[in-house]
Amino acid sequence: MNRGPIRPKIVTGIAAVALALAYMIYAGVTQSAVYFVTPAELTAAPRPGKAYRLGGMVEKGSVRWVASTLDLSFRLSDGQTTVPVRHTGTPPDLFGEGRGAVVEGRWTTEGYFRAARILAKHSEEYKAPHDDPEPAYRELMKSLRSNPT
Amino acid sequence: MTRRLIRWLLPATALPVLALLAYGFRVNHRDIPSPLVNRPAARFTLTSYTGEPMSLDVQRGHVVVVNFWASWCYPACYEEAPVLERNWRAYRDRGVVVFGVDIQDKPEAGRKFIADFGLTFPNALDPTGRVSVDYGVYGVPETFFIDAEGRVRAKHVGGVTDAVFRREVERLLAERR
Amino acid sequence: MIPELGHGAVLVGAVVALYGAAAAAAGGRSGRTALLASAQYAALAVFVLVSAVLLLLVYAFLTCDFSVRYVAMNTNLATPYYYRITAVWGALEGSLVLWAWLLALYTLIVVLRHRTSARELYPWALTVMLSVLSFFLLVMTVAAPVFARLSAVPADGRGLNPLLEDSGMITHPVALYLGFTGFTVPFAFAIAALATGRVGDRWIILTRRWTIVAWYFLSLGLLIGGWWSYHVLGWGGYWAWDPVENAAFMPWLTGTAFLHSVMIQERRRMLKLWNIGLVILTFSLTLFGTFLTRSGVIASVHAFSQGAIGVFFLAFLAVVVLVSLTLLAWRWDALAAEGELDSVISRESAFLLNNVLLVAATFTVFFGTVFPLLSEAVRGAKISVGAPFFNQVNVPVFLALIFLMGVGPLIAWRRASGDNLRRNFFWPVVVGMLSATLFFALGVRSALTVLSLALTVFVAATISVEYVRATRARVRTGSQLLSAMGGLLVRHNRRYGGFVIHLGILVIAVGITGSQAWSLQREATLTRGEAVELAGYRFQFEGLAAREAGTHFLVESTFKVTNGRAAVDELRPAKKFYRQEQSPIAHVDYRLGFVDDLYLVLGDFARDGSEATVKVQVNRMVSWIWFGGLILTLGTALAVLPERKQTP
Repeated sequence: MNRGPIRPKIVTGIAAVALALAYMIYAGVTQSAVYFVTPAELTAAPRPGKAYRLGGMVEKGSVRWVASTLDLSFRLSDGQTTVPVRHTGTPPDLFGEGRGAVVEGRWTTEGYFRAARILAKHSEEYKAPHDDPEPAYRELMKSLRSNPT
Repeated sequence: MTRRLIRWLLPATALPVLALLAYGFRVNHRDIPSPLVNRPAARFTLTSYTGEPMSLDVQRGHVVVVNFWASWCYPACYEEAPVLERNWRAYRDRGVVVFGVDIQDKPEAGRKFIADFGLTFPNALDPTGRVSVDYGVYGVPETFFIDAEGRVRAKHVGGVTDAVFRREVERLLAERR
Repeated sequence: MIPELGHGAVLVGAVVALYGAAAAAAGGRSGRTALLASAQYAALAVFVLVSAVLLLLVYAFLTCDFSVRYVAMNTNLATPYYYRITAVWGALEGSLVLWAWLLALYTLIVVLRHRTSARELYPWALTVMLSVLSFFLLVMTVAAPVFARLSAVPADGRGLNPLLEDSGMITHPVALYLGFTGFTVPFAFAIAALATGRVGDRWIILTRRWTIVAWYFLSLGLLIGGWWSYHVLGWGGYWAWDPVENAAFMPWLTGTAFLHSVMIQERRRMLKLWNIGLVILTFSLTLFGTFLTRSGVIASVHAFSQGAIGVFFLAFLAVVVLVSLTLLAWRWDALAAEGELDSVISRESAFLLNNVLLVAATFTVFFGTVFPLLSEAVRGAKISVGAPFFNQVNVPVFLALIFLMGVGPLIAWRRASGDNLRRNFFWPVVVGMLSATLFFALGVRSALTVLSLALTVFVAATISVEYVRATRARVRTGSQLLSAMGGLLVRHNRRYGGFVIHLGILVIAVGITGSQAWSLQREATLTRGEAVELAGYRFQFEGLAAREAGTHFLVESTFKVTNGRAAVDELRPAKKFYRQEQSPIAHVDYRLGFVDDLYLVLGDFARDGSEATVKVQVNRMVSWIWFGGLILTLGTALAVLPERKQTP
């Protein structure tokens, strides 16, 4: 490229954009970084207010769902430690006891994890047991049919 | 001089990015661990497809492989069935026991599956689903490796391969001594 | 029999494509037309073979040939025939077949269109296209054989993922792949330009329409994906900055930059190096996207399954990037600009800034997407950045781009005089500022929303100013008003097609702004007869009903929606229980509107039908996004019309 009085201006301009971008990326990352942890890692050093992504198995018998207040609570386990989790709102369809779940949220100062989101992954290769359409759904259908709408 | 070299910066800068992506292959995504590992395996007694009782209680002293499958689970169950049969035949003389638990399936479909693959190790239908619940089975296939003391030592999610089977069983057999 | 034929066809196709690539290169090198002709026949043969593969696969699906593993996994006896056809590209192996077929089709079109018009570049472009094609066919043979058999034939297939049983899913992959593969053509010609040293305008002029069409299909694919996400997935959103979404968005960003920067090269003979670099980057990003979705390297909510295929794609990506960039370094001197930037206040400068911003946005998205890998490699901790990161960094960039959309087409080349600026921008700026105060007066308090809307008004005003002025000029020289208006569009279809496309983008921007700023949601558990209120609407729970519906068991709730006294609609969000799925799939019911979309998702429900938990959303301005897409289509159609004699 030929040199000329315009060159410094262009270079400054692009440098300015690059610097602004670098700053915005830095600010964005530090503000929205989410750390992946297991229950053991979280309970070892929990920091209230920090955003975490927590993965584990939903402990059998730990799920409590109150439909009227939309309060969901359960315990996530990794075989060594369990973490109490609370969430407001219906859980996603793939959520269930004895199944894996990943939650995103923050550790509170009251000793539980407040999940803002419950994530579920749909695996292609891996097949999950389904309810046999015969017995379970017939029952459901029967009970729904007996309550006319 | 530098003018000539700058141009080669372009292909050079691509290399670290490609290296980073290649690094991604070595990273193992965190598996959901099973809370059952190192805990005593739940006992069960089922009636196998050939009519005999299939019971975990009487297997103390043996290394046991419990495999949960279903005829409607493909391709994974279809791929691992020959693997299980093959390894069962190879290890049965060393006292290894292989149990297949057919969950949420129709008996005729289960029988067809066993016949198609020529499975000779005991397979039983789990009619109430009780056993799969006890083992925290989330999907099929899942395979549990139980040591001679009756503790679950490993859980494999997805189709079992020769390598996985051998690795786990050899490890448990070695401990038994 | 059929599967073996199909598998054989893939293998033969790969070999023929490789031969064709070699022949074309040799023909280009030596100038021997016989070699080139044989390469052309090879291209034709590959197209026929890949078409056969596609047809055989469709046949296997239609006849439910469950001995083929791919068929058994993606369809079952109850799947209706039209979903069986679309299931062909519903998973990994089949999607590669679709990709390969579209690539083969494009290669054939390149042969037919350019074998006489681009004598020097054509052989090398053909080499590149056939090389890429042979890679895909090789991968299909070795790593992802679509006709692999099952050792025991199941009685019934597993079935298509119910989320894919949707009209959006029929078209979304096709549109996206038309876009992705479309960018192979400009890339091929750019490599040809580097190889032959003819790095002037020729390759750009030849590929102009290809670029616009590929860009359009990519845009369409992204919009359809957003629409599918919106009306099927049940979270009421259309974009989540998921790695797979980002993978398709990045080539769109650089493709847009490329679309604009080539105009600078045509007019001022500048940015030659930049343009070739951009098209290499765009094509590499399309490969990167394919790699990302199929390798499992980055965890994503909707990734395909893992396997050896990721390694193949990374290797190919590495080869493409390193070879192209080396060629670029080799021809560095020939790519010197012939013109130069005269002033910062000029069209060249505006376009350059547009490009810089688009590349900045691309970098941001890339950085955010691979950040988990980076953090794990550097610090051992796996950290991800969520949607807030992308929004925070990209929103200012996109707002600046909207502003440039108004400035660029009107500002003068070389150096804009004060007079030129005043003539073009005085009224748009005034109108923009007035609209800002108007929005504020109407109650919009968010500065970002006001800014975004005011900028949209500004740009719309610049387009109107241009159109009005040009029409007036024609009318003054004797045309009738309507023929002046229409004549402008036809005579300068590239320019006005571009304006219409910009208008479409503006409408989409308004839709995005409105939906982010003004949408509301609530969740509640209701007994029969109870209602929940949101944004002036009242949603009353009437009850639940259940029935068998062919492929699934359906539990449907009924909600009566009223607005004040007037009855608005009856919505039935439901839950579908599929035989082959581990959990129920939510079926969203919605009512689209010009401003308000009413959106209901059924959550938990009592087994006796007495109670239901429902999530209610009033999403605002979302329809503007889809409407903007329609305008985009019209603009593209206008822009690609064959050109009449251009008046300067």
